[in-house]
Amino acid sequence: MTLASFVIKNALRNRRRALLTVISVAVSCGLLVTLLTLERELTIPPESEAASLRIIARNKVSLAQPLPAKQLAVIDKIPGVVAVSPFTFFGGNFREETVTSFAQFAVDPARFKGLMVEGRIAEGSYDDFVADRTSCFVGADTMKRYGLKIGDRMRFSGTFYPVDPDLKIAAVFQGTVDDRGVFFHHKLLDELMGNPGTVGTWYMRVASAETSNDVIARVNAAFANTSAEVRAETERAFQMGFISMLGNVKLLIGSVSTVVVFTLMLVTVSTMSMAVRERFRELAVLKALGFRRRELFSFILAESFGLALAGGMLGIFGAWAIWTGIDLQKLTKGFLLYFEVTPRIMATGGVVAALLGIVASISPSIAMARISVVQGLKTLD
Amino acid sequence: MAAEPIVVIRELTKTYLQGDLNVTALNGVSLDILPGEFVVLMGPSGSGKSTLLHIIAGIDRPTSGSAVVQGINIAGLNESQLAEWRNQNVGFVFQSFNLIPVLTAAENVELPLLLTDLDSKERRRQVATALELVGLADRGHHRPDQLSGGQQQRAAIARALVTDPALIVADEPTGNLDAKSAGDVLTILQSLSRNAGKTVIMVTHDPKSAAFGSRSLHLEKGEITP
Ligand SMILES: Nc1ncnc2c1ncn2[C@@H]1O[C@H](COP(=O)(O)OP(=O)(O)OP(=O)(O)O)[C@@H](O)[C@H]1O
Ligand SMILES: [Mg+2]
Repeated sequence: MTLASFVIKNALRNRRRALLTVISVAVSCGLLVTLLTLERELTIPPESEAASLRIIARNKVSLAQPLPAKQLAVIDKIPGVVAVSPFTFFGGNFREETVTSFAQFAVDPARFKGLMVEGRIAEGSYDDFVADRTSCFVGADTMKRYGLKIGDRMRFSGTFYPVDPDLKIAAVFQGTVDDRGVFFHHKLLDELMGNPGTVGTWYMRVASAETSNDVIARVNAAFANTSAEVRAETERAFQMGFISMLGNVKLLIGSVSTVVVFTLMLVTVSTMSMAVRERFRELAVLKALGFRRRELFSFILAESFGLALAGGMLGIFGAWAIWTGIDLQKLTKGFLLYFEVTPRIMATGGVVAALLGIVASISPSIAMARISVVQGLKTLD
Repeated sequence: MAAEPIVVIRELTKTYLQGDLNVTALNGVSLDILPGEFVVLMGPSGSGKSTLLHIIAGIDRPTSGSAVVQGINIAGLNESQLAEWRNQNVGFVFQSFNLIPVLTAAENVELPLLLTDLDSKERRRQVATALELVGLADRGHHRPDQLSGGQQQRAAIARALVTDPALIVADEPTGNLDAKSAGDVLTILQSLSRNAGKTVIMVTHDPKSAAFGSRSLHLEKGEITP
């Protein structure tokens, strides 16, 4: 027998309790990892750098109110605006689908090119997209998801707009924060709608992130006191606005995670306290045999640490396996895009589990150190 | 040849504060014990037998007076020195055996050796010798719940002597045993003192058990009475 096998035998002496402890730590750690992954997922897009180089101007009254197309001439003259394109959310359902599972936007292809900061053309040619009024420009993820290829047709039935554009895929983009969207000619939308002379929003690019505030102020000022006042903001702020509609996700996830960790701690601490308390007498015997506090402390720590870490590993790698194995993009109809359990998140889970093991051993160790051999021998005697 | 005493106790007192009341467990006990003696402590309940035994064995501290065991004033040692001293010099036998339930008899006997420098082969050899000595050579792989009370107590004696300590203390070791098993245990303790030169100090209530010892001491209200 070695000291290590002694610790293991002690840890497994109550098999059911050891198993329940490991499982509860595993479930909580898995949940924690999932929450952290969800938080990352929901906050990635706003953290893209290019998003702070782009500005979206919408109708000040509401996002649903269109803007006059003739504003373009004014925006073109505003200093600091490098590129601008109409940007109208179409929101159609693809083929027979009954929900909008990815976004479609009507843009001016020639102008829109200047707004593509990140990403690249993966297939086809952008010039073909510019040249053909009925063509579209599609994200690689959507191509893959529906098994599409260049030249295939994409038919959408409008939900906001009572028209059903039928588009031919001319080019594919890849490497943006969201490779799902479909872009098509604003001219086509205008024609189908009988040339109403409106756009949804204006999409602009500035030269550097530092100038974006000035440009925003100028855009807002240019249409102040007109019949269609605008509200311009960075794409990042615009997306943040979307996310904040879901409530303050970061705060929510943060508090749920705290509760999970706290509950986890209570479970482990109480298990360890119980495991040590029912062994007071044995600990007293070990003390009589010559084991010192520091040895008994390392037994308790090793046991607690071992159980917490076993549970932690199980939960963390379990969560990783689940979220890596499941096609969440398909399952959530594209709401969850990557849901990547990063090494950093896994490490966070591991650190939490390790700390837990240490914290849970503190109170039993203090109790163990306090009790004298004679007192300990008297317990349950 | 007049041997030096292995235990020298002078004016030992132990008092407990119970509420506002001072309870005297030991009241000025002086005592010499020679190597190889089998000393039996007797006396009514509450007379301080266990307290005296605990102080000699280094698991309790006196309020005043001195206890010198093998030339070492054990009151002068700190917690961790005392633990190491116990490991090397004292073997414990308790009334309720106190074996670790998840370990086999052999593993229980091996426990005190885990604190020594011995390698696993040497440890196994000593465990086998100790089990042989108490007649449990064939029960080493049994867990305590698979052993009778008498066998458990013999395993506990093997654990007490596996480090080859000079002193063995036993607090009512036969208190939970039937007459036959008690006889076995007492015979082993007696032979340890007679043949192996161990000093054995045993607390008992039973005059028949006391007959196995080489000397009996009577405690009454914390004092040794003639
Ligand atoms: N921790 C303690 N706190 C207070 N008083 C104590 C404590 N331990 C022992 N005593 C008192 O000290 C006295 C001697 O106790 P001790 O256990 O030595 O008696 P004993 O002779 O071994 O008795 P028994 O035969 O019942 O085991 C008793 O009066 C007991 O109540
Ligand atoms: Mg007693």
